[in-house]
Amino acid sequence: MFSFFVRRLLLIIPTVFFALSFLFALFFVLPGDPATLIAGGADRVPDPGVVERVNERYGLNDPILEQFANYWKRTLQWDLGESFQNRRSVNEILGEKAVNSLRLGIWAILIEIVVGISIGVLSAIRRYSIADKLTTIVTAVASAVPVFVLGFILQYAFAVYPNKHDWPEWMHLRTQGMGPDTWAFFFIPTGETWRHLVLPAVALASVSTALATRMTRGSMLEVLRADFMRTARAKGLNERQVIVGHGLRNAMLPVITLIGVDFGTVIGAAVLTETTFSWPGLGSEIASSVISRDLPVTLGLTLVVVLAYTVINLLVDLSYGWFDPRIRFSKGGKQ
Amino acid sequence: MALGARNDAERDRTVDGAASGDNSADRATGTTARGGQSTERGVAGGELVDLGTFVGDPPEHLDPALNSTLDAYQVINLLYDGLTDLDTSDPDNPVVKPLVAESFEANDDATVWTFKIKEGVTFSDGEAVLPSSFVRAWERASDPDFAGDYSYLFNFIKGGEEKLAGDADTLAGVKADDEAMTLTVELAAPYSNFATVAGFQLFFPMPSAVDDLADQTSWENELMIGNGPYKLESPRNDQEIVVVKNDTWAGDVNGEKWEDRLDKIIFKVSADPDTAYNAFEAGEGLTANVPPGRAKEADENHATTQNVKISGTYHFDINMENPAVGGEENVLLRQAISMAIDRDAINEAVYDGIRQTSTGVTPPGIPGFEEGLCKYCGYDEAAAKKAADDWKAAGNSQSAPIKIQFNAGAGHEDVVTIIVDNLKAIGIEAEATPMPTETYFSELAKGACEVCRAGWYADYPTYDNFMYDLFHSDAAGGGNNYSQFRNAEFDKLVDDAKQTVDADEQGELFRQAEDILLNEDVAVIPINWYVGDYVYNPDKVANFPQSGLGLVAWEQIKLKG
Repeated sequence: MFSFFVRRLLLIIPTVFFALSFLFALFFVLPGDPATLIAGGADRVPDPGVVERVNERYGLNDPILEQFANYWKRTLQWDLGESFQNRRSVNEILGEKAVNSLRLGIWAILIEIVVGISIGVLSAIRRYSIADKLTTIVTAVASAVPVFVLGFILQYAFAVYPNKHDWPEWMHLRTQGMGPDTWAFFFIPTGETWRHLVLPAVALASVSTALATRMTRGSMLEVLRADFMRTARAKGLNERQVIVGHGLRNAMLPVITLIGVDFGTVIGAAVLTETTFSWPGLGSEIASSVISRDLPVTLGLTLVVVLAYTVINLLVDLSYGWFDPRIRFSKGGKQ
Repeated sequence: MALGARNDAERDRTVDGAASGDNSADRATGTTARGGQSTERGVAGGELVDLGTFVGDPPEHLDPALNSTLDAYQVINLLYDGLTDLDTSDPDNPVVKPLVAESFEANDDATVWTFKIKEGVTFSDGEAVLPSSFVRAWERASDPDFAGDYSYLFNFIKGGEEKLAGDADTLAGVKADDEAMTLTVELAAPYSNFATVAGFQLFFPMPSAVDDLADQTSWENELMIGNGPYKLESPRNDQEIVVVKNDTWAGDVNGEKWEDRLDKIIFKVSADPDTAYNAFEAGEGLTANVPPGRAKEADENHATTQNVKISGTYHFDINMENPAVGGEENVLLRQAISMAIDRDAINEAVYDGIRQTSTGVTPPGIPGFEEGLCKYCGYDEAAAKKAADDWKAAGNSQSAPIKIQFNAGAGHEDVVTIIVDNLKAIGIEAEATPMPTETYFSELAKGACEVCRAGWYADYPTYDNFMYDLFHSDAAGGGNNYSQFRNAEFDKLVDDAKQTVDADEQGELFRQAEDILLNEDVAVIPINWYVGDYVYNPDKVANFPQSGLGLVAWEQIKLKG
């Protein structure tokens, strides 16, 4: 178990190295000279003197290999540099955005876990019932509707419509930003913040919840037919213990994998949700830094997202052992 | 400026603000009316939440020395007052008036400008605005290690080029006398519109607090101090920029102090125009940006500034060095192209009919502007067909379809499609040629243009900002002159006009130059002029004045009781 853990931790090093090196290389392959873009070249022809000064300031005149080596030297000391655009420290940007992303992500994942798994289980138990069929239809629709369309509809239904029809104030939800941005225990919104959180969290959770529901249902159906379920019933356990203790626990493996991957995604790649609801998170920041060729921001933020992904994956792998005791991690482990 | 063209989706770049500061407003009163203060135009004070200024990303810069976007200029213009400003009380005849200056005058050949500074003007922290405050700001903004996108404007000033190149420590042409309250500026070349340019954000004054900064880039992330009608309530952050009334403000160009102005303006940053419009309709703000394609709807349901003419032009340049379309032998072809385009149909189909169909390049609101300069800008299919046939009869033929180029994904596809159809109708083959946005303008500058989409917002309201910056031979071969238009007679007229002090005479010279550009050489095809794109809630906002430069006079806004 321990050596598995260490091996997996070590694996993070090449993963991070290749991911970021690839991004670094990509930056210089993309069309558009970064210095020109930084000097305002996306909209007009910038002054050549300004471009030259930008090149100078950011060392963009150095050979690419030298820039590459310098980049890794700094990164190893966790010096993520500063933004080309406004010279803010990337660490500072990261601190701000990561927290916002994490809070939104936690709520999306909570929705996915609670709604996805419970509906999936119910759907499997009452297979072919009206509720089951309805679930199938709703999940199909939810996974097919693009997030920005869903976001737009949610905004209209829960913010614009109530405002136009003078619904009481407590029924209005908000469409933009984080509001007062006040939280208890890191992730519980307090004051007016909840009005801002509900819609983006639901929009962000929609697709993954639909997938989690379908996967739970499918996995459950398979497990329900298994021999050990009959054994469990035969030895006199009540239905609840059978379903939750034996059925669900065994059906969870693929669902946990899915949720683990989703957690990485909602934190690092929630670009559409963040854009639709003006939620200042990591995904949209990475996207806009790519467009403006703000290399330090792109690399610094991606580094953290990659780290988060690998760590979450490790945790998911470790959790397999708990869900399915047959899985052992150490080489030649005792069976 | 070339930025801030929202309808064209030419969005500016990304940025972050500093960490959020405290939120305590010193005199916020809320939007509700305070009894008895209601006037005909609205109530005094109040708070306005704007959702329309920062749509896309937070502003990259808020420092007047660094900013190059219209979006951030909206806020910067509230925080600072310059030497001069434009009086747009009569939108068709904007007049440059002294603002922080009491008066200004030029010598006979417009090479030396003397600004007399008003006594008693202060920054919001009480420090006096002196001639040296301007010198401080200009030396700072022209420091090559700090200089922003617009720093090249210091080339106007004697010694500016050397300073920007790092060959000089100071701007040789600038002298401040704080005793006599005069600022004397010697220019590198005669320029009669310098008073207008001196009102541009790059030339705003700076308080002595900037001298204490270890790093000038930190200024815009802190509580910048200025001398405008508003001041920052807290350092900017990514979600909003909050300004509150500056009680020490000296008043506008006409001495009007707008004492009853809003107490607080909150500029919210939203990531997407459509959802920001949703937020506006959900009552989360009083003003927003009209999203593309919703112009009519916005007019019907709310009030908009779409009736305000903005000094910006949308046109197609024709590369004079491209053998397929350029040169003397293709004048008839270019006339034919220009006359074949149904500009009104483009306006209706693409812009809901809100834009102004162009009759020239230089837009209304620019001193010297006259309507109807262009002879070939009216839609005349028969005349276009005849010109095209004459061109062919003279022995010319098309070896390939004409490329109509545009930056992809920025909303120009529909315009180009109509143009291609229009040309087909007169027997000219053309094809829509999308190009990547990231490199579009630099490619055009390098000569890639055949018939290429371009747009331009006035940086400052001068005729030369269009004629010189876009069509002078100085701007060809790498600059903004994508037509690679080089005409000695045109250059001479523009150069002469730039030195002419008399406004009428100057306007005449510029119009003669534009006449050559439009009617003799036909190097550009004007399509339309921009209009305002703010939408506001008429039940709560009494007035929303937007100037021809696109700047909103926020200090004049009143809320309804």
